[in-house]
Amino acid sequence: MDTSMGKLSRRMRKWTADILDLPQDVAYDLPRMIMIGDRQLYIENHRGVIHFSSEQLRLKLSKGELEVNGMDLIIRTIWTEEVFIEGRITSVNLKDGEGKR
Amino acid sequence: MNEGWLPRLRGIVTVRLRGGAQEELVNDCLKDGLALWSIRRTSPEEMEFAVQVPDFFRLKPYLKRTGCRIHVTRRRGLPFWLRKAAKRKFFAAGIVLFFATMFLLSSLVWTIEVRGTERIKQEDLLAAAKAEGVYPFQWSWKLPEPSLLAAKLSARLPDAAWIGVEKKGTRIIFQVVESKRPDAAKLNSPRHIIASSDAVVTRIIADKGRPVVRVNTKVKKGQTLISGTIGEPPNTATVVADGEVRGLVWHEYAIVSPLSIQTHVYTGESKTKWSVVLFGRALQVSGFGANPFAQSQTQEKQENLGWRGLRLPAGRLKETVMETRVEEKTLTREEAVQAGIERAKADLMSKAGADAVVKEQKILHEKTDNGKVYMKVLLEVDQSIVKEMPLVQMQGE
Repeated sequence: MDTSMGKLSRRMRKWTADILDLPQDVAYDLPRMIMIGDRQLYIENHRGVIHFSSEQLRLKLSKGELEVNGMDLIIRTIWTEEVFIEGRITSVNLKDGEGKR
Repeated sequence: MNEGWLPRLRGIVTVRLRGGAQEELVNDCLKDGLALWSIRRTSPEEMEFAVQVPDFFRLKPYLKRTGCRIHVTRRRGLPFWLRKAAKRKFFAAGIVLFFATMFLLSSLVWTIEVRGTERIKQEDLLAAAKAEGVYPFQWSWKLPEPSLLAAKLSARLPDAAWIGVEKKGTRIIFQVVESKRPDAAKLNSPRHIIASSDAVVTRIIADKGRPVVRVNTKVKKGQTLISGTIGEPPNTATVVADGEVRGLVWHEYAIVSPLSIQTHVYTGESKTKWSVVLFGRALQVSGFGANPFAQSQTQEKQENLGWRGLRLPAGRLKETVMETRVEEKTLTREEAVQAGIERAKADLMSKAGADAVVKEQKILHEKTDNGKVYMKVLLEVDQSIVKEMPLVQMQGE
């Protein structure tokens, strides 16, 4: 969700999501992650790769960024909105610009 | 990762990236729809990823923009395979030849199977099939349409009611249903129908030939009933006379019927012997000792072990020895007479045929003597009196 999105528009979205009981990721453009043990991680709704090494992968999100730490990380496949990561994942951090969450 | 057939067909290139803004390159490529996969760091400065050949040629502007350099490390897929095949001409030709031979051999008819024939000779059917262009080592694309072929074969083989043609790979199966033909009529020589015994005719129907007697005529044994000679004297012909003639025939029976009959009855006493049966040999295990009864009957019952419908050669045998007693039953005179007549009738039926009907029975004479009833019975029976007599052709001298 861009900052250019108006306050009104954001309210409308929240209202619609509440009324229709929509999942949060659809309503707010949030990332959705599916993690299989420490081996596979599937992330939807990313906004690009910031950094990639075999120990760390940092992805840009609509708001903040996602940090995946581990060993022997491989991007199995990557599309414009989805990433499929394999390797030994030790931690997944969500950063909201200021600090860890 | 298993890439699927389409990327393989297009060719897959594994590329190593050096220097520059590598993450930037990945993001840019994704944005423009270039598919990259299996991205990994081989060293802090180097990254490796796989890309399809068409996308590989679109990489250049992105490389320029991000300042990366590439180095191809692995090539896979059909385009590269073809290039390799072009180098190994004989090998490639061998592969092509192999598939071509396989295809050609599998489009030959190898065997022809005929099913369901009994009267029709297989050779005849195969010959007919050959005439229609179906024989071993024939190209299967030259074969006529199965339904058409079936019709043509049926026309060639009149004995077949239906011929089904089925093609199963390199095998042709002819399923034949033979037509049923009526049994050929028995060949008979010309004949008369004559009376088999003295009788009074009650019914005469000539299927063939000329009836000579009428209903209610008394006929003697051997008298002609239906003549096999037809036509007026100068123009006569002989035929196989046939028809139905029934008449009243008298049978006289001398019957002796006892006034008492002996029957064996069970007393209810019994003894059981058990044996073990192995491979058809029995070994008694219980019920030893001599038969304690003066008169007895033995009933045997063998049970074999079975397993899933399979009879095993092992089992047990039960013998029941049952005591019997002779019981004498005294009959009244009427009962004895009745029993005698019944026996006489049963005997008559076996002689005169099942369609014989007893019209009347008369007891001519009756005497009781020595515990037996002696009697003479006359039975009047309506029965068939047909007998065939071959006509001997009288040749003129």
